[in-house]
Amino acid sequence: MTTAEIINPANLVYEKPKLLNDTPMHYCPGCSHGVVHKLIAEIIGEMDMQEKTIAIAPVGCAVFAYKYIDVDWQQAAHGRAPAVATAVKRLMPDRLVFTYQGDGDLAAIGTAETIHACNRGENIAIIFINNGIYGMTGGQMAPTTLDGMKSSTCPNGRNVELNGNPLDITKLLAQLDGTCYVTRQSVHNIANTRKTKKAIQKAFENSMAGKGTSVVEVVSTCNSGWKMTPEASNDWMVANMFPKYPLGDLKNE
Amino acid sequence: MSYDLKLKEMNDSKKQNIDEVVLMKGNEAIAHAAVRCGCDGYFGYPITPQSEIMETLMELEPWNTTGMVVLQVESETSSINMVYGAAGCGKKSMTSSSSPGVSLMQEGISYIACGELPCLIVNVMRGGPGLGTIQPSQADYFQSVKGGGHGDYKLITLAPASVQEMADFTVLGFDLAFKYNTPALLLADGVIGQMMEKVVLPPFQPRLTDEEIAKRSPWATVGKPATRKPNIITTLSLEAEEMETINLRLQAKYREIEKNEVLFEEYDCEDAEYLVVAFGTSARVSQKAVEMARAEGIKAGLLRPITLYPFPTNAISNYADKVKGILTVEMSAGQMVEDVRLAVNGRVPVEFYGRLGGIVPSPDEVLNALKTKLV
Repeated sequence: MTTAEIINPANLVYEKPKLLNDTPMHYCPGCSHGVVHKLIAEIIGEMDMQEKTIAIAPVGCAVFAYKYIDVDWQQAAHGRAPAVATAVKRLMPDRLVFTYQGDGDLAAIGTAETIHACNRGENIAIIFINNGIYGMTGGQMAPTTLDGMKSSTCPNGRNVELNGNPLDITKLLAQLDGTCYVTRQSVHNIANTRKTKKAIQKAFENSMAGKGTSVVEVVSTCNSGWKMTPEASNDWMVANMFPKYPLGDLKNE
Repeated sequence: MSYDLKLKEMNDSKKQNIDEVVLMKGNEAIAHAAVRCGCDGYFGYPITPQSEIMETLMELEPWNTTGMVVLQVESETSSINMVYGAAGCGKKSMTSSSSPGVSLMQEGISYIACGELPCLIVNVMRGGPGLGTIQPSQADYFQSVKGGGHGDYKLITLAPASVQEMADFTVLGFDLAFKYNTPALLLADGVIGQMMEKVVLPPFQPRLTDEEIAKRSPWATVGKPATRKPNIITTLSLEAEEMETINLRLQAKYREIEKNEVLFEEYDCEDAEYLVVAFGTSARVSQKAVEMARAEGIKAGLLRPITLYPFPTNAISNYADKVKGILTVEMSAGQMVEDVRLAVNGRVPVEFYGRLGGIVPSPDEVLNALKTKLV
């Protein structure tokens, strides 16, 4: 088979999403961010929403999300993405507005902004990457760090008496009247990646339909922060993260 | 431009509405002016002594007329970040607060300045530090003109001294913000916010359409057509060289602002032997003190900085060659006096008189300070 035959559109079974830029990603190999980015780029393309999308990037590893997905972006201050998104959507109600945030950003410093945006029922989607650790600053304890889990600021493992309890903020957000769809997914295998794609698409559709706030938590790995290989990270996530953060819909109205 | 010319320009544009003289509070005037000048969004959190701004907006219900969005939110941290989001879309957006709330906004203001986003922030100052008092103060001068948040940035800072100027400077603040793509601050004190005076409100301007915004602010994040690169509002550059370039661009912009936008008012200054420098409510009090001094045969004059940044350094410097001494009057422990001293550079004595913690000085006190410290 020649190269020309291989790249014949009739033989094409997979291609890079058009809205995913060629910029090499800075994410560590094995990190979940790249997969979720790809899904978002794919969905916006399939929904033909590039011209209508304004995305809000967080502070954390995904601060550079704007380099990778070919839409208009605003990079918010740490934790403030839901406030920024609120204003964008209120002033331009026909646009697709979503935030992309990690657990430190969304569940620690931005707790107030997250809860109040969700409680007001802003017509935005929140994509929440929960890897139980502060990735960008080098693996410190996050609000979501599991009991006993090691990080650079709890080197002997999180001690609930000393550090308090891990926060299941998604469960909390599902209680609020303003949220219409709250789900927890993962991207560690193909079946779950497909489910995550469907969840994000539904979140985007909800926000365009004006149904309220949608939250898609993606339980993720941080193999660098966890100090494991990508494969071991996936296994560790299934064994340890999923019992505390079980997958599935928490709310679907 | 001199203040007289600027005022004439403003008054000319108002003539069509001259029959609309109304009596209202300074805070209310800001709300009316915001709606009338085509503001797209207001985001705020209640705090005394400026809550009438949001209350008036909620009564006006501009979302039913101009389409302006008004939202009460969970904190000043959120409101300033909503302004960031709205301004990033090229929208005319604002927030208002008083001293403790504005302290909470400093993170967001630094981001807005770095992102080169135009917006209007209103601070109706009250006495501090801490929770302080709800009485008027001018002790946020340093916070306003010297930075406030982190990093090297400046805020165009307008200091109104009347209810009329609360309305006028709401319009002017937005104009300057969009002229330079930078945040503007309207720095009033509790007296100007709470007192009632007659005011001619600015004429109605329609809000800009999406097409007009795309033309005026081509950098705005409004959704990316296939024909252009994505618009990205960010304040992050991990490369120091890149960050220095951004800083140099900001500094060049500030030099332009310093060259073009200084505003001040002079009262009885022509033959003055003693100059009083004061802004806002202190200027109103000092003007009376100058009149009383003149009645006693003391040749006093008043210079009122209207833009606190850019500061009227040259104007004050020129007076240093003409007068015997300068008295700076502030409702603080003495903040602007440092900039007056920098302008004067030791050529004549620069004295200070101030009241702290929410107290407004009387004209008698100012006259007495002028006599005991300088004359």
